[in-house]
Amino acid sequence: MDPSSSAALVELVRRAQRGDEAAQRELILAYQHRVAGFVFAMTNRSDVVEDLCQQIFIKMIRAVDRLQAPAQFESWLFRLARNTCIDQLRRQRLRRIFLPFADEHENIPEPPGAVDSEELDALRHALAQLRPQDRALLALVQEGRSHAEISEILGTSVAAVKARLHRAREQLREHYQP
Amino acid sequence: MNTNPEQDAWSRLRAHAAARLDGGFADRVLQSAHGCPAPAWDRLRAAAADCLRPGFPDRVLAAARERFEIPSYGSQLALSALTAAACLAAVILFHHHELAAADARNLAEWSQIVAAAQDLDAGAR
Repeated sequence: MDPSSSAALVELVRRAQRGDEAAQRELILAYQHRVAGFVFAMTNRSDVVEDLCQQIFIKMIRAVDRLQAPAQFESWLFRLARNTCIDQLRRQRLRRIFLPFADEHENIPEPPGAVDSEELDALRHALAQLRPQDRALLALVQEGRSHAEISEILGTSVAAVKARLHRAREQLREHYQP
Repeated sequence: MNTNPEQDAWSRLRAHAAARLDGGFADRVLQSAHGCPAPAWDRLRAAAADCLRPGFPDRVLAAARERFEIPSYGSQLALSALTAAACLAAVILFHHHELAAADARNLAEWSQIVAAAQDLDAGAR
């Protein structure tokens, strides 16, 4: 089934809501790479991507039956992803306060081959300079979410989304130096 | 071939304007719109996808099936309250039991004293 068609997606989500494991697996397969990209953009760390993706999809499986409008599944999934990443970043910040780890312990360099291009390096560097909220905004736009959907995900107005997006893009442009 | 002079002029204007834009125009517009070139985002998505080991969906489904859940603050608080209530109940029960035993002991001692006093009274008479 092609979940890119909205009718097919709604049907797939309904099956997943009824506890159909094949449908749940199909949803994971359809969204795992997009969610991984979103998580990477948010956290800027490849070592936490799989762990966070697993948390996000487990939450999805456990909560999908409470989703009222299956047509809004994608927005709902990315809201889950965003909240999970924000929680992870908060925990990371708290750990830095309570544990006597230095920066070099926290920011372990990526293994060779993990970062394979100057373009990617430059984008990761630029994203790291932005606030997590702005990173989420840019990543959601990259995921093809509309301004209205983003405003719903972030719990803010469309006008605020547009203004913040404009600022975030300017900042990204400023810091992006390949 | 266009014979309309006005249409011809518009075509020339469009061609002239288009010649002003160099080859990288589209990329520059996209970079300006997105903050960075689109291929950089594609590479980021590809790098992120590489972070997921094969069999990812199976691992997620297995973990979800286990129903392993980190206890919430609410459930931890409820468990603490339940433990405290159980301890309090145990202390009260123990105290009540000890009090009843002490009463029984005291009553037995008093009964002995009373019996001894009665014996003494009877002996004195």
